[in-house]
Amino acid sequence: MTDRDGALDTPGAREEDRPDSPALSAPPAFAHASEAEMSRILDFYGVRWEYEPHTFPILWNLEGTVVESFTPDFYLPDLDLYLEMTTLRQKLVRKKNRKLRRLRALYPDIRIKLFYARDFRALMLKYGKLALADALSGTSGQVVPTHGSDDPSTPTEPASSPLAPAPGGSTLARRRTHRRRRSSAPAAATAQAAAQ
Amino acid sequence: MSRTVDLEADVQDVLVSEDQIQAKVADLGRRISEDYAGRQLTLVSVLKGSLPFMADLMRSITIPVRIDLMEVSSYGGASTESSGLVRILKDLSASIEGDDVLIVEDIIDTGLTLNYLLRYLRGKNPASLRICTLLDKPARRLVEIPVDYIGFTIPDQFVVGYGLDYGEIYRNLRFVGVLRPEVYTAGE
Repeated sequence: MTDRDGALDTPGAREEDRPDSPALSAPPAFAHASEAEMSRILDFYGVRWEYEPHTFPILWNLEGTVVESFTPDFYLPDLDLYLEMTTLRQKLVRKKNRKLRRLRALYPDIRIKLFYARDFRALMLKYGKLALADALSGTSGQVVPTHGSDDPSTPTEPASSPLAPAPGGSTLARRRTHRRRRSSAPAAATAQAAAQ
Repeated sequence: MSRTVDLEADVQDVLVSEDQIQAKVADLGRRISEDYAGRQLTLVSVLKGSLPFMADLMRSITIPVRIDLMEVSSYGGASTESSGLVRILKDLSASIEGDDVLIVEDIIDTGLTLNYLLRYLRGKNPASLRICTLLDKPARRLVEIPVDYIGFTIPDQFVVGYGLDYGEIYRNLRFVGVLRPEVYTAGE
């Protein structure tokens, strides 16, 4: 990022001509190395992104307390698009697919794209970094957990309520929580539907 | 390079044949000629992959047309590490202000490069800015971009030929083919 000015020294690439570049700030603590790589790709092409800015409740218990939520990895504000990286084991992919279906059912206006391991691999192939794909896929690409779990295969969701701030000021504490557009459906029905 | 490259043998399947390409290019040229009749059209080709498509397409267009070339760095390329931002390696050689501009692409997959180019070229104040691509791979799309002229919609496979490369080779194949996976996994 420090070479930003140098990047403008190409013929015709005056600063006023360049598309807007992402804001320069310290990168967040990514949960997975593939997410960090994706952030670099988005930065490269001048696509603004936010890391895990929103948490969506997707399951409530009978008391109406949120028991499951979904926090997409990236939000691309200029495209109004959420991006979820899924480079983990198949078992966790299935779990994430289920959560995604639930998210789409509850929040139909949200645009979200799931990036599977094969998608990430294809991206790395396109950019001539295929060797990196394997290194950054699966649990081997896991970095220091930032979601309160020592087990890298543990799903990154809050143990109790997504509204509760995580200890130690993790990324969870900085998330805003979007409210579901549904207002009066019985919680029991919601829980039953999610269990299917 | 340690192994001998046999261009055609490295291709698993021919996805779009030379005849299919030529027929499609002729059709696109006819449509573009009709749509832009009486207007000042500038074709902007994005190097290097779109070079063969540009050369064939411009000759199938029957109205007066200007051409220009651009090249931008790709993520993972030599300039990536130094800047972390896309670089315009070759800019337009003339103003496009007031022109009807048609971007000529070889393939659109994620849409990231094209999204960048669109923002850049809009800043040059063309009268209109549209897109023509030989190949569209929608399964890979990250940035939704309206594409006005599409030659072929292809499945989610890694393709080479007719300008498309892997490691800067295979561009000179006269067709578009699926590269054998063992070619790009051999070095892993």
